[in-house]
Amino acid sequence: MADAVSVPQVHPVQPMLRFVRVIPGVLLLAAIGYAGKLLEQNVGAYAKAHHWTFPNIEYVLWAIVLGLAISNTVGVPELFRAGVATYEFWLKAGIVLLGSRFLLGDILKLGGVSLVLVAIEITGAIVFMTFLGRVFRLKPKLTSLLAVGSAVCGVSAIIATKGAIEADDEDSSFSIAAILALGALALFTFPLIGHFLHLSDRAYGLWAGLAVDNTAEATAAGALYSDAAAKLAVLVKSTRNAMIGFVVLAYAIYWAGKGQAQAVGNKAAFLWQKFPKFVLGFLVISVLATYHFFSKDQVGALANLSRWAFLLTFAGVGLRTNFKEMRKQGLRPFAVGAIGEVAIAVFTLGLVVGAERLFGF
Amino acid sequence: MSEQVKSAASSSRWKLSLDTWAVLAAFLAALLIRAGVFKHIPW
Repeated sequence: MADAVSVPQVHPVQPMLRFVRVIPGVLLLAAIGYAGKLLEQNVGAYAKAHHWTFPNIEYVLWAIVLGLAISNTVGVPELFRAGVATYEFWLKAGIVLLGSRFLLGDILKLGGVSLVLVAIEITGAIVFMTFLGRVFRLKPKLTSLLAVGSAVCGVSAIIATKGAIEADDEDSSFSIAAILALGALALFTFPLIGHFLHLSDRAYGLWAGLAVDNTAEATAAGALYSDAAAKLAVLVKSTRNAMIGFVVLAYAIYWAGKGQAQAVGNKAAFLWQKFPKFVLGFLVISVLATYHFFSKDQVGALANLSRWAFLLTFAGVGLRTNFKEMRKQGLRPFAVGAIGEVAIAVFTLGLVVGAERLFGF
Repeated sequence: MSEQVKSAASSSRWKLSLDTWAVLAAFLAALLIRAGVFKHIPW
């Protein structure tokens, strides 16, 4: 039975084992997230009771900082790693549930504006990152990965492109490290800049959704500003995510044309495979909420459930960010990423301010 | 094709992505809330 040898054996207990393996890490995410929520409530109250001047620090920041502190001091023990990696699952489930807080009309109105801005941002970011990659003499495929990562949606886009253009593991590690490090910096700098410039919740949410690369970081950067900003950041970021298939397909065709990647057969299947399904889930829940499938109390319950899911995500963002590991990846890709990200942030800020004046939203 | 190959091929065909699992979990939660199983989710 030679043909059966190369096929991995399917063990019926595997899914159950996989489930058990994630439990410790999920509990760690929940503990850190909940500690962040308690700190938000109690530190503020304690400072007020003692007449201290202390800024109100949101649970989002507490959860990220606690996660960062653990990851960069004692590290995340092996036992917890599988569960910590589920933070993306909570993020996507949270985004789908957040759809209950959007009416379809709002999505069409804001989605239309954001779609135009997203198209401009993606084009500008790809052109600029490609130019920077050539100036810094990075390997062409590494440049492609950095361009896709900063233009579309961070780590997911890099992983999708890596497979499609057959890039090296080393190149994708470089790009992922650069995008994650810059995402972590954006978390702390974006809200400060937003407050300094007195941006409205809408303008800031649009900006965070357009300029912050990873979906988790974009959501967190929005939530650090306000609830309304977080909603908009998620909407714009989801619009960017929806473009992933088209951008990856374009790169796959480009590299296949150079004979350095496999040709794409069925393009529609390729697009569907790369399309982020949570964007569809978000739209379905939004349609149901628009047509009153849920009562007002149920919408409130869905929104709260989405917040709990995000709480676990924010803890995961901190836990998976290890600055020592990132430093090991070298400076050049990071420098290209940093210069590109600053330029994209300034460019998109200009776009958002211009759109706000033009459309008056 | 042997039975093992068939079962492995069909299991990989039905393997869902993380995205899809997240959507299914969110839909299930939404349905349970809609059905009144969870009436109030505190924050």
